Amino acid sequence: MIEIDGRQIPWHEGMTVAALLEEIEDAHHYAVVRLNGRLISRPNFEKTPVPDSAEVILIPMVAGG
Amino acid sequence: MTQLRAKEIKTFSYTRPTITNGYANQTLSVDLSGPDITIKPVSQNMKELFVGGKGFDLWLLWNAVTPVTKWNDPENAICIASGPMGGTPGYPGSGKSIVTTISPTTGSVMDSNVGGYFGPYLKFSGFDALEVTGQGAEGTVIFIDGVRQEIKLLQVDGLPEDSYALSQVLTDFFAEGKKQDISVVSTGPGAKHTLIGCLNFTWYDMKRKRARYKQAGRGGIGSVFAHKGIRAIVARWDSVTVDTNNPADKKAVTTVAKVYSKEIRELDPKENEMARVGTTHLVPIMNDFDLLPTHNFRYGQHPGANNIGRDVYQHLFDPGFDGCWRGCTVACSHGVKDFVPMTGPYKGQTVFVDGPEYETIAGCGSNIGVFDPFTILEMNFYCDAYGLDTISVGTGIAFVMECFELGLITTSHTGGMDLSFGNRLNALELVHQMAAGKGFGAIVGQGIRRMKELFEKEYGADSALLQDIGMESKGLEFSEYMTKESLAQQGGYGIALKGPQHDEAWLIFLDMVHNYMPTFEQKAEALHWFPMFRTWFGLCGLCKLPWNDIVPEDNKETPEPAKVMKHVQWYAEYFSAVTGRKVTPDDLVLMSEAVYNFQRVFSLRLGYGRREHDTLPYRAMGPVTMEEYESRQERYDKQLTEKYGVDIAGKETPEKVAILRKFREQQYEELKDAVYERRGWSKDGIPTLETIKRLGIDFPEVLEVLKANGMS
Repeated sequence: MIEIDGRQIPWHEGMTVAALLEEIEDAHHYAVVRLNGRLISRPNFEKTPVPDSAEVILIPMVAGG
Repeated sequence: MTQLRAKEIKTFSYTRPTITNGYANQTLSVDLSGPDITIKPVSQNMKELFVGGKGFDLWLLWNAVTPVTKWNDPENAICIASGPMGGTPGYPGSGKSIVTTISPTTGSVMDSNVGGYFGPYLKFSGFDALEVTGQGAEGTVIFIDGVRQEIKLLQVDGLPEDSYALSQVLTDFFAEGKKQDISVVSTGPGAKHTLIGCLNFTWYDMKRKRARYKQAGRGGIGSVFAHKGIRAIVARWDSVTVDTNNPADKKAVTTVAKVYSKEIRELDPKENEMARVGTTHLVPIMNDFDLLPTHNFRYGQHPGANNIGRDVYQHLFDPGFDGCWRGCTVACSHGVKDFVPMTGPYKGQTVFVDGPEYETIAGCGSNIGVFDPFTILEMNFYCDAYGLDTISVGTGIAFVMECFELGLITTSHTGGMDLSFGNRLNALELVHQMAAGKGFGAIVGQGIRRMKELFEKEYGADSALLQDIGMESKGLEFSEYMTKESLAQQGGYGIALKGPQHDEAWLIFLDMVHNYMPTFEQKAEALHWFPMFRTWFGLCGLCKLPWNDIVPEDNKETPEPAKVMKHVQWYAEYFSAVTGRKVTPDDLVLMSEAVYNFQRVFSLRLGYGRREHDTLPYRAMGPVTMEEYESRQERYDKQLTEKYGVDIAGKETPEKVAILRKFREQQYEELKDAVYERRGWSKDGIPTLETIKRLGIDFPEVLEVLKANGMS
């Protein structure tokens, strides 16, 4: 299982951040996630594996400065 | 330590007014030439039209200067103000000041916002704004003592040269045992010897027992300050509670403040973690999206970026509360203790570095090819201590490094220094030279616009190339975002009133990453609403970061997630509760619009503020060189073929660069048309009479300026 924003989701072999977000409603709002404390941005979603027992936080980033 | 010798030049006693609904209802005027100290009333009309903060600053500045005033004329004023909500403890980000003056680098109106305690202390001492004009003697210190109800003009000998030591010494000198009661505004030798000086505003850190500071960095305000002979302006005030602002509805203020603070405490750790890492999280994110400026804005990405972002600085920052105003739960003003510089007057000594923030990391790091976090810390430390703007320093050095690599300047111009990208020791040497007003650093300290003229006229450099790669607009150096692929952000920089600073419109993520504004009309609407709403924070004494850097969990379900309307509603409630003036979110934008348009007319009055001034160097729009094009060839080829319908078969890179340039320059001009129309401006970028009347700023002086510029 992995935890995403406090919810439990089943983990499977070969899961990537992109694959994980396909299971989330309104995932297009999230251009950045924090995976086990590391920031992962959308350009890297497909190539970033999600390990079992991972903690994922969706970051609703809209602005800065 | 040298003993300070303070000679009183003038003392002015006054009776402190009761703060009512966030206003002192008077401003303080100090003319250093007289010297004269006077108090001016704030009328109800002034509050309704200009609100406070930048609005008050602009009105005072407008009345102080003439259409031909230059930055170094005695009548040029430095105006500092908080705002009606400024100084509320507990409501996140309520400690901002805003500073305006005629800028040495742009020749027009400059504004720069800053944290620290000064603005609130000034107001609680009895003044909604301060204007300083005239020319003082070297060593002038202005002391605003709200406790004793006295203003003192002092001439102080024995002060340290740099702002780092000066801030501590003056805090000790005036504190009478309560250092948290003091806020010092000062600058350093870099401001005196360049045109890109900043001001440091202190806040006292009780845990670390030292004066910390934030910077009003942009546009050379510190250089105006130094030119006037001012070493420091010091404010003294004692305890602060919600009652100090005497809000119209205290219960409503505390209720909305409690809700907002609670949300930030809960959500910031889940989102950007600003209370822990400040704005350093932006470095890896910008890099991933090809938006982090590297090598003078040539590229947006570099493998070394991971060395200078959140993952490194989170371990270097000294843990603890870092709020630049009391009770702010964003608390993003982090610093590094026990840092030991390897160069300069503090070489080998242990110092505290306030920062770095994203802009300094990108400007004094990636953009000059430096990916060493400790060099960035040292650049940060010395820029602050010398009173130099880290953004203009970073962007300026990036420019000369590219000029050096292109052979436009050589070691014969740089005093023998190799200024290739990444040469960190010579970058630091340039900063030390700026502070001393010597060597090639003194030239870099004049800013990019003047460097371009010099390099062309004196060194024979290619003028067109200099224009393309010199990252300034209106005379102000770019802040640190890549805009090539975001037309909205090009407008956010190019059409900004003071020049390319992101505080007016930070649209790059909304446009490029989220694609919230795909059409021209949507971009134009965004370039209306966002600059107006962002302006509003500067009228009220507020920081923008709590608004949209911490986002409610249900924000994505709202019709316009980019605007974070739940927070906008809270701001309307907060304003109503403090001032007693009942407003809606739409009213906030309307009140900003009046001040925004007034500032545009002010620029026009000084000979700027037209379409011809809203220009950008081509590098902000697209690839200047073949190398830039070929580094992202797939992207550019695709745009040429799919977006513009160009047959690129058989075309070499230089031809494709030229074709793309034509399209991109054209779309920027079309964007200007759309934005001007949305804002109620003429094709030449001037507010129309109808707009001026609608906003209620159609007083005779404004109409006169418009008439003189063909708008009648």
